[in-house]
Amino acid sequence: MPLWFARGLRRGVVTTRYPARPEPSAASLPTPPVFHAQRIDAGLADRLCEVCPSRALRREGPVLIFDVGACTACGRCREAAPGAVTASGEFELAATARDRLIKRIPLAAEARP
Amino acid sequence: MADRDAGAPATGPALDGRSGETSQEQAAAALRARVASQFGRSLHIRTLDTGSCAACEQEIRLLAAPHYDLHRLGFFFTPAPRHADLLMVTGPMIRAFDVAARKTFDAMPGPKIVVATGACALGGVYPADAFTHGGVGEILPVDVWIPGCPPSPLALLQGLLVAVDRLAEKAASMTFTADAPPEKVPG
Repeated sequence: MPLWFARGLRRGVVTTRYPARPEPSAASLPTPPVFHAQRIDAGLADRLCEVCPSRALRREGPVLIFDVGACTACGRCREAAPGAVTASGEFELAATARDRLIKRIPLAAEARP
Repeated sequence: MADRDAGAPATGPALDGRSGETSQEQAAAALRARVASQFGRSLHIRTLDTGSCAACEQEIRLLAAPHYDLHRLGFFFTPAPRHADLLMVTGPMIRAFDVAARKTFDAMPGPKIVVATGACALGGVYPADAFTHGGVGEILPVDVWIPGCPPSPLALLQGLLVAVDRLAEKAASMTFTADAPPEKVPG
């Protein structure tokens, strides 16, 4: 405490920064999925859109549109396509514009195994 | 500790930003700098539950716990919107809450920040219907969007720091695609 006080007086900084080292508990958080686009064709994409309970996925032609803001990280798409959809591990997702959270994922014409 | 109390009340001419169409961008930049200088060190948060399941509230409460300790970063919770600089809104904005949400927002002194918190508030879980607006953005001018169901305290902390311009946002550069094969491929 006296050390912090002295440091605050010296630097004029009264508050500290965001975690200086990686937070260990972050690894166990549910996180939005990441899509292995080469393994996903239109048919699989449609199935993923069907299992999504929060309307975070939809398909527009050869593009899968993923709304990260709507995703609840429930894991149903990961269960539906275990090889093609995995957890991203990203949780620092705050955005200053809503459309920055909407991701366009180009699909493969033919899914590679 | 909080320098913001010493500053003048934020009702200067830069706030309305309607002095002229040509100088609008300059006024916006000046306002942004002023907000950052006022909010950069310390600010007070008012939470607003607009029909949330309370999972977001659980995580917001955890921010004040010793492990996350958001007070060390200069954030404080206040029970009064009149003392708040930042409004943290959870839930899908139920229609029954229209008047209360508007009154809360109007009661806050400017400049003010609105943070939509959680997938409901971002319009993910409930579609707009007779009971909800289906997202906070339909009613309030949202400045920062924090995804997650619920967002973890760390995600909330990052969102708050993005809101006061102390941390750069990362979401815009994330693609959520991976072309490298996953390490374990069952089947």
